[in-house]
Amino acid sequence: MLSSKSNRKSGKRARLAALMTGLLIGSGAFAPAVIAQEPDTLVIARSIGGLNSLDPSRAFCDTCQIYLSSVYESLVTLASDNKSLAPNLAESWEISDDLTQFTFHIKPDAVFSDGSPVEAKDVAWSFQRLLNLKGSPSFLMDGMESVEALDAKTVKVTVSKPNSEFINKVSAPYAAIINSDVAIEAGALADASAATADDAEGWFLETSAGSGPFVLKNYSPESELRLIANANYYGDQPAFDSVVITNIQDSVSQAQALESGAVDIAMQIDADTMASMNSDEVITEIVPSFNFVYIAFSPAATRANGVLTPEVREALTYALDYDGIMDFTVGGNGAKQSAPIPNGFPGTSDLPLRTQDVAKAKQMLADAGYADGFSLIAGYPNDNVYGVDLNLMMQKVQQDLAAVNVSLELQPMTYAVWRDELTGEGLPVTGVYYAPDYFGSGQYVDYFSMIEGTPWASRAGGTQPELVVNATEAELYQKALASSGETSESYYHQLAEEMIGENIIIPLVSPNLVLAFRADIEGVRYSACCNLPLAELSRK
Amino acid sequence: MLRYLLRRILVIPFLLLGVASVAFLLSQITKGDPLSALIPERMMSNEAVVEAIKTQWGLDRSLPERYVIYMTRLVQGDLGTSFTTRRPVLTDIAERLPATLELVIAAMIFGCSSGFGLGMIAARFKNTAADISARSFALLGSSLPIFWSGLILLYIFSVKLGWVPGTGRLDARSIAPETVTGFFTIDAILAGNMPALLEALGHLVLPAFVLGWSVTGIITRLIRSSMLDALNQDYVRTARAKGAPEHIVLLRHAFRNALIPTLTIMGFTFAYLITGAVLTEAIFSWPGIGSYAVSAARSLDYPAIVGVTLVGAVAFLLANLLTDVAYAFANPRIKIAG
Repeated sequence: MLSSKSNRKSGKRARLAALMTGLLIGSGAFAPAVIAQEPDTLVIARSIGGLNSLDPSRAFCDTCQIYLSSVYESLVTLASDNKSLAPNLAESWEISDDLTQFTFHIKPDAVFSDGSPVEAKDVAWSFQRLLNLKGSPSFLMDGMESVEALDAKTVKVTVSKPNSEFINKVSAPYAAIINSDVAIEAGALADASAATADDAEGWFLETSAGSGPFVLKNYSPESELRLIANANYYGDQPAFDSVVITNIQDSVSQAQALESGAVDIAMQIDADTMASMNSDEVITEIVPSFNFVYIAFSPAATRANGVLTPEVREALTYALDYDGIMDFTVGGNGAKQSAPIPNGFPGTSDLPLRTQDVAKAKQMLADAGYADGFSLIAGYPNDNVYGVDLNLMMQKVQQDLAAVNVSLELQPMTYAVWRDELTGEGLPVTGVYYAPDYFGSGQYVDYFSMIEGTPWASRAGGTQPELVVNATEAELYQKALASSGETSESYYHQLAEEMIGENIIIPLVSPNLVLAFRADIEGVRYSACCNLPLAELSRK
Repeated sequence: MLRYLLRRILVIPFLLLGVASVAFLLSQITKGDPLSALIPERMMSNEAVVEAIKTQWGLDRSLPERYVIYMTRLVQGDLGTSFTTRRPVLTDIAERLPATLELVIAAMIFGCSSGFGLGMIAARFKNTAADISARSFALLGSSLPIFWSGLILLYIFSVKLGWVPGTGRLDARSIAPETVTGFFTIDAILAGNMPALLEALGHLVLPAFVLGWSVTGIITRLIRSSMLDALNQDYVRTARAKGAPEHIVLLRHAFRNALIPTLTIMGFTFAYLITGAVLTEAIFSWPGIGSYAVSAARSLDYPAIVGVTLVGAVAFLLANLLTDVAYAFANPRIKIAG
């Protein structure tokens, strides 16, 4: 009996061992690729942790721009030259001479993914919701007085003051046109109660209601975003039946996935990692970006102790080694930028670049009574963005300022704590980043200028706005918005010069982007509005 | 035994409420702005946006109000909505926990089985080449940083040799089997989908090895020292004197006794890895609970922080309970009072 029981046990063990061995062998090297797959799937490696929403009126992130511009459509879009506007949902538009009325004519054949026509009422509802939801991109509709459907395919937007920038704002992916009928059914609201009563955000995580070339198939936060071709798309069908943006966080892992063929495009490869890649099946290109990293001085911050006078700020800008910072942070793969408006945006041509002059910095500090220097606290998010490690960047800044006897106490912190500090007693010095929300210089004036009420005027000026507020900028901005073309550009140029002279926001590097993709992929390009236009991609 | 188990299980909900309270209050008093997950930096000066978001998420209420609301919902099984994913925390956890459990169970199977084997070999062949090799492998497992070993092994075995697939639970081009348990391996079996099973196992091999290797290190050293101790005991000498075969001496007499101190470590290692496998999850793009915890902590997403804390607490409480039960089975002299 004992022996037979033992034999049965041995037999079971042997079968179990054989099964396990079989599974292990089969699982790895010999796993056949016969699992159900989408017919032709494009796989993109990207860190999608920052994706905050899939609701066009709430979303606000780089990945959101890719998603929204693929699944939804705005009335106009940015052309491939990254500076002119092109028709999108609207086949044409007219702007009144006083720049307060914008009339759009929707393409007659435009339909949503459920086959229903895109109508003026959808545009009116989407813009009103964007404004009233008070979500992150609501600022795009600031100043909108009314939006009315003139007929089924014509919509007119009226703004309260002349605003040549409005047409650019409409090109942002966040100004997406939503199928209002289905969204309303799902609980979306566009009236004044939207800010507190709209509960459609969860619905937008599970479905899409746009007219773009793709529709949402599945979203798993911090894992993957899966799109499939919109069968009802009224334009040219995209080359891929399916697109998966898979979450791979770091640059090295993205490069490995690209080299192994697991992904077709890797979006956040840094220059150092690119240099280590040597596969013939991978193409890498370096292109300039419109992103930039900067340091900022807040003279009214409590812990600045009043030292950050205009003269001292100017002296500190002369102490910085701009070439060295670019080498140190991105290995030279970037561009210098003088004003807090990206190179290539309206008003930035021929702006003077900042240069290092340590002797001049020392002399200016001595003249200001700080020959022996002083100490400052520099708090910043402990992040790596656009290939720039902010820790490294701030260490270099610390080193440069030490040469003029200014001691910088570095305080890296989590983003949440940094925000708390910035809005609390303020940070005398900080280092952070910025990327465009659409093509247009107005957004930078709205954010970085020292016009009363802008975010940075509030931070730098704190309770003493008189320290920083610049009335000239307000006048110039009004003129820029009330004009268009070269005239408007010349006002933005003057605004840029004013912002340079304030020495509050000091851009350090505009890092280049690495476009890395498999050799059989075509159409990869960087777009200032949409990051990576998915519908333009194809396989050879 | 049954009464003891029931008593321990009945206490768990009360312990969890205490844990949830502490986690909630700590995350509220921690320095930082929870709005950072809800409002982008450029919008935080826009008072209209800030007020709307505060109202929408209940952050305009006082701390005691928020606490009462949160705990009331919690006892009804509602863990709230995550600030970062904008989905119910319970949904997030239900989606991510199986991924982590699948990884951790595979890592524990590898780590414990290899640790047992190597520990026994090291003890049986003390101070020989086999002992040194086993201990070296164990030492490497516990000392190599996971972010380094993970990346290197991924580069060698996936990129260069192509023996194992890349990151993720499945190839990004593949469609996951229909979700029943959330364990891709089990769901594939339930669906009768052998290719999906093989692919899921293929994706599991490397991360489970990397994570399990650190477990191997701990278990090998513990088993070796316990076995050396046991092999010097009288009952082992008696067994050998009675002519028992060496494998019986090792497995039935020495190993069973050496296992007892190891059970505690195994239980707590398993519980720790549930929320502590974050580096492996990050390197292998494994959408588990560890990376969710880190993301929640960084953005002060307190509904998610409390949710993950509860998962960790449940894991530790259950591990503790199961370890006690396992003690009784491993050592008949230990009686659990009823």
